[in-house]
Amino acid sequence: MYTVLLIESNTLQAAIYTKALTHGGFKVIHVTGAQTAINAADQHIPDIVVLELQLPQHSGIEFLHEFRSYPEWQRIPVMMLTNVPMSSLESIEQPLRRDLGVTCMLYKPRTSLELLVRRTREQLRIL
Amino acid sequence: MRAGSAEAGSEATDLLLSVAEQLKIPLSTIARQAELGRMTGTVCLDDVAAIRVQADAALTLVESYLLGLELLREQTSLLLEPVSVSSMLADIAHDLYRYARQYGVELELHIAGKYEPVMAHPRGLRAVLLSLGYTLIEARAAQEGDKRRPVLTLASHRSAHGIIAGLYGEYSDLHAAQWHRALELCGRARQPFAALSAGSAAGLFVADTILQAMDTRLRVGRYLKQSGLGMTLSPSQQLSFV
Repeated sequence: MYTVLLIESNTLQAAIYTKALTHGGFKVIHVTGAQTAINAADQHIPDIVVLELQLPQHSGIEFLHEFRSYPEWQRIPVMMLTNVPMSSLESIEQPLRRDLGVTCMLYKPRTSLELLVRRTREQLRIL
Repeated sequence: MRAGSAEAGSEATDLLLSVAEQLKIPLSTIARQAELGRMTGTVCLDDVAAIRVQADAALTLVESYLLGLELLREQTSLLLEPVSVSSMLADIAHDLYRYARQYGVELELHIAGKYEPVMAHPRGLRAVLLSLGYTLIEARAAQEGDKRRPVLTLASHRSAHGIIAGLYGEYSDLHAAQWHRALELCGRARQPFAALSAGSAAGLFVADTILQAMDTRLRVGRYLKQSGLGMTLSPSQQLSFV
């Protein structure tokens, strides 16, 4: 079973995403912030990370810098699932993809649970 | 007079942007919750309750925003009357209970002190405390590194300037300077108060706008080693003599 590290500060939304991903056949580890995400990844290396950019205290971008600084985590796909509209991310999309290894970007209000599960499978090349 | 009309217009726009950003969260939660039931083929009463609670939170934010907007436009102060802070906080705790439960946050009510009534606008104060409550509950649930069940305390206590009503919890790194900076960034940054909230924290700005019409402001404060936000309310002199 593939493990998803879900980094989402809104615990109610996280519960919904966890149920949907679990229903889709994934094991989900949920954390609310960047620091606990690093600790969680250290304890159990995830197969994929689903990340909200807007987190309290340390942002999702700060998490990515820290996460990608460890060689063993550099190839783990990271999907962004965020409340920040894609139009606002245009200027940083290339650095996010090229330098921080973001493999997929989803705008939360427009992303159905079905799409989230489908994209997660695609990123892990699960047919 | 709190601000000129141009400044008030700009404040209203900032507030609208902040509220619109904040509304994404309950609305997308409702949409995804409804979808989850269809996806898993199971809809239970808890799911329906979660949808209702989120809808109530969104409606409260809209109503409070409209009150704030009305006050900004009219540039008037609210008519104040004697209000019991203790009973108001008890009512608010009751109204926030289901929302707090959804987020796994425990509410505590500290209203033991016998304080005289304060001068406030009942509808305005209610909107302020509810808006504050919804924002702080979400923020409390999102705090990292706390293994215990998160607690949010609704409290009233006396200060040299009056009676303080506020909501407090174990929020890390909460300082007055961050709140002042957040007020400048309202509507201009996605996370104006990043030390506390991952979102736009619109409920706090709406609350502060309403409070200005009651001649007070929202301030960062501390209560029993916890930090949070509260407001100083003037005791009713008239009733003190009775």
